[in-house]
Amino acid sequence: MLSIPDTYPIDLKPFPSDLSMPYTLTPGRAAGIFLAEIGNKRIVGSRFRDGGTVAVPAQDFCPKTGDSEFDLVEAPSTGTLNAFTETEAGIIGLIRIDGSDFDFPHQIVDAGYDDLTVGDRVEAVWGEGAGESILGIKGFKPSPKAPVGSIKPLENPAKQVEVVPYRMDLHYEHAFGPYYGRLFDEIKTNRRIMGVRTSNGEGALLPPRELDDITHKKTGTWVEVKQTGTVRACSVIHLQFIGQKQPPPYIYAEIILDGALTRLIHNISGIDMSRAKELVKPGTRVRAVWRDGEPTGSLADISHFEVIGGEDERS
Amino acid sequence: MPANRVAVISSTQTELRGNWSGAQHIDLIAAVVTDVFKGTGLTLDDVDFVFDSGSDVLDGRSISNCGFLGAMGAHHKEESRIEEDGLWAALYGVTKIASGAANVGLIIAYSKPSESDPNAFYKSQVEPFYQRPVGFDHRAASGIQAQRYLADHGVSEKQLAGLVSNRWASASAGRRVPLDAVPDEREVLASPSVARPLTQLMMSRPTDGAVAILIASEDIARRTAKTPVWITGMGMSGDRHSFATRKAGTLEACEAAATSAFKQAGWSKPTPAVAETSASSAVTELMVLEAIGLARPGKGLDLTGDGKIAVNKSGGSLPADPIMATGLVRLAEASRQLVYPAEYGLKSPTTAIAHGAGGVGMQTHCVFTLEV
Amino acid sequence: MGRHVGIVGVGQTNHSRRRTDVSQAGLVREAVDRALADAKLTIEDIDSVVVATGPVLFAAVNQPEKWVVDAIGASLKPVVRITSGGGTGLAGALAGYYQVSSGFADRVLVVAYDKLSEGALQYSISTLYDPFWGREFAVGIMGFSAAYWRARMDVLGHTEEAAAMVAVKNRKNSMNNPYAHVKKEVTVEDVMNSKPLAWPIKTLDVPPISDGAAAIVLSTEKLAAKSTDRPAWIHGMGYFCEADNAPERSLLVSEPLAIAARRVYRAAGITNPRRQFDVVEVQEPYTCFELSYYESLGLCAPGEAAELIESGATQMTGDIPVNPSGGCAGANPIGAAALIRLIEAASQVMGKAGDMQVPGAKLALAQAGGGWANLRGVAVVGA
Repeated sequence: MLSIPDTYPIDLKPFPSDLSMPYTLTPGRAAGIFLAEIGNKRIVGSRFRDGGTVAVPAQDFCPKTGDSEFDLVEAPSTGTLNAFTETEAGIIGLIRIDGSDFDFPHQIVDAGYDDLTVGDRVEAVWGEGAGESILGIKGFKPSPKAPVGSIKPLENPAKQVEVVPYRMDLHYEHAFGPYYGRLFDEIKTNRRIMGVRTSNGEGALLPPRELDDITHKKTGTWVEVKQTGTVRACSVIHLQFIGQKQPPPYIYAEIILDGALTRLIHNISGIDMSRAKELVKPGTRVRAVWRDGEPTGSLADISHFEVIGGEDERS
Repeated sequence: MPANRVAVISSTQTELRGNWSGAQHIDLIAAVVTDVFKGTGLTLDDVDFVFDSGSDVLDGRSISNCGFLGAMGAHHKEESRIEEDGLWAALYGVTKIASGAANVGLIIAYSKPSESDPNAFYKSQVEPFYQRPVGFDHRAASGIQAQRYLADHGVSEKQLAGLVSNRWASASAGRRVPLDAVPDEREVLASPSVARPLTQLMMSRPTDGAVAILIASEDIARRTAKTPVWITGMGMSGDRHSFATRKAGTLEACEAAATSAFKQAGWSKPTPAVAETSASSAVTELMVLEAIGLARPGKGLDLTGDGKIAVNKSGGSLPADPIMATGLVRLAEASRQLVYPAEYGLKSPTTAIAHGAGGVGMQTHCVFTLEV
Repeated sequence: MGRHVGIVGVGQTNHSRRRTDVSQAGLVREAVDRALADAKLTIEDIDSVVVATGPVLFAAVNQPEKWVVDAIGASLKPVVRITSGGGTGLAGALAGYYQVSSGFADRVLVVAYDKLSEGALQYSISTLYDPFWGREFAVGIMGFSAAYWRARMDVLGHTEEAAAMVAVKNRKNSMNNPYAHVKKEVTVEDVMNSKPLAWPIKTLDVPPISDGAAAIVLSTEKLAAKSTDRPAWIHGMGYFCEADNAPERSLLVSEPLAIAARRVYRAAGITNPRRQFDVVEVQEPYTCFELSYYESLGLCAPGEAAELIESGATQMTGDIPVNPSGGCAGANPIGAAALIRLIEAASQVMGKAGDMQVPGAKLALAQAGGGWANLRGVAVVGA
């Protein structure tokens, strides 16, 4: 119904991208002690001073009032199943530990979905080598005769877990779309770098795009830009960090290719790095060096940029 | 709200497709931003600010608005990213115009869940120490909401399936959600189980798409719009994070948001002619209608016939849920139904509500009242 | 125009490299408790909450306002999150400002935070880059920032020595800031000799990585008196952007900042910022940016920033003190940093900046920014 350029034939598979980020998360006092006590097979809750509300598992803030003043308590490992469902993660139930004022979700184990009824008595099943995770409790199993337990003061609480290692893995399949599609197809098959003219026809936008950022009007015809260009800005990278793609030192550069108006980000190599500051600066002329081997249809097909002599063509 | 009235003067959206595989985010965004000015006599130069909604986690980039500013037409304008459904971005925009600080605002929301995993999007919202490790997510929350709703109100899975089938049929009758086929009750029931008792087709279907609306101050609206759609009330509310500690069997935050909106609008009874609502599942579709007050608790299904209130004529969010844009699509749809009622087989409705939601188990809600 | 809006309470955590005693939610609660206490209010008095944080990948919780809302005790209140890069704290305050100004709410709590010790900072910031176009070369935002500083060096004379003076000034001022966690004075030589990270950026040009939160209470004029007899009135606020890879982008003088300043100055009646402002707080993710901000904010002409810092005018004792708080050099919980700048500016005109107080300050400027140096905000607050 709208003019969206997806009728352009693109036979490129989406561009895969993975983000795999390491974290060290801080659970805080209540959850930190809860996790620490998992190893002792004790379930910890919070009793809030404002009204005596009990939350299991332990919380820093009362779910009802937001109260932050609380005493830690030891909760029983028995409770009632208040609701449940079955997903690809298994049977997930909402469990009300005896003496708690709130439900919490956990796995239901040793039972089939059809065996369960709301109101069933359940008790915790502890895992082997419980560790410092809620999964130290494998889940809760039906236990029709489980006696009703009660909340007790927590004696000699363990030292709180301060940091929980975590990793978030996210996978993407990014669509090329017609403009990036042609750009990277040309890079892959012809080693050509293609932009599109701005809406007023002066110079090329790189990467190409349907609309001119400034005027928000349709961009013009495709145009090949040169593989030489001028450094607009650069820095010498010494920093090391998680997720880095190459070992330092190297040069981060934003390059305006001849014929283009916008930046291409890449590395400049092939120089004496001890003299990087003087050899590469804004205005330095550079040329793309293509990578040998099977082309990938990405910026990685350009191995790096090398310094060449001469002046900025535009100056 | 103060004296400065604010109206929706134009809205547009892309088709909501399971996969816009040939287009990038910026292509979808650019298309709606170009189209939304048609017929208004306004251009991007008249726009005072751009507020946008999208998700870094869905987009696979941090501060993702940063890379899309050109496509959004935001260059050298005031811009903000509201990382919540686009209806919240619209709410922000309305406050800005209502305060007198601006005249024309462009509100954009977009989504391409086909490029990532919507389950990861929801799972990563859940608190990481207690809930995330045990596999509690939006599916589990939806399943539990369904178990309770069916038990509390004597509604059957077959009835839910019928609701889904109706909603898909409505979407199919419009032009904005291309569907190969409309599932019947049997197919809905037979689709894979996702969160018992809910099947895949009872959950909202993630779709790609973008939506843009223009909002304007009263004098601009009167000069530019065929029929200005006045935003007369707005409410938003967030429930507790932990689903298990929320009040069972109801959507309290939805009620709170609706109550605020109706109070602002001076509506004593929630009797709009048109309602466009969001839902994560067939069950929350009903729970939302009830929380807003359009039906008594457990009686949401009564609204699905040809009653006095036209509910989700667009099909709503079950057949097409462009996560982060769903609520703003509801505002666009409700506005269109007020301006072009004939297109929807409506007589001459003068009032509508638009509803958006966010979070696992529909934690947050936003409600607009609209009048022409 | 809309209703007048004042800042009637402020609070921030004692920032630190790593807080292992509290979760992200607990960190937020500390700042909220302090802001509410400062405003002599409880959460019951608050109509609406705005949460501002940096990108989700900093701390592995998507849409974290939905988690921290429990810690704020704001259940069933309006809540929305604004995220606009490093300057998001100011962008969040702006959203809160319009809620009050328009009449949607009478009192709004704005809370901003980041707990940067939890994630891999440079890796997560690098995902700002287009996955197709440059991400594999990204060095967070540091490689980029250093590269354009290098360009400004040639054109505008923003030398390494001038930036080092910014580091010296801000680290000295941090000594007076009870919430800062980097408290060590340095000399120009120390900065010049510090290890290059992304040359010309060196270790001492870089702020710390911090855990921290900040909160403010915004109020109507009518209700302000309950909290304070001296609110910081917001005279103008704006947050502007620039398309990241647009052909006109010079990155020499920050155009979005200049645009934001022009708009906000007009609203606030500022014609000569250098003379009219008593104090300025800027969010300098690296020292080089403070020099650039001097020019974009009109404190001096383009090309004169080095001269301005050399003259001592921006020192505590100068005619236009910049960052009496020490700025980001003392603490840099990114998502909170911009709101902290606003708090410090507000505290100056409320007369409660303690050892950081510029005597008699009546009018203050706060600046914020993020993204690829393409999201830029400005606020003017007055007594």
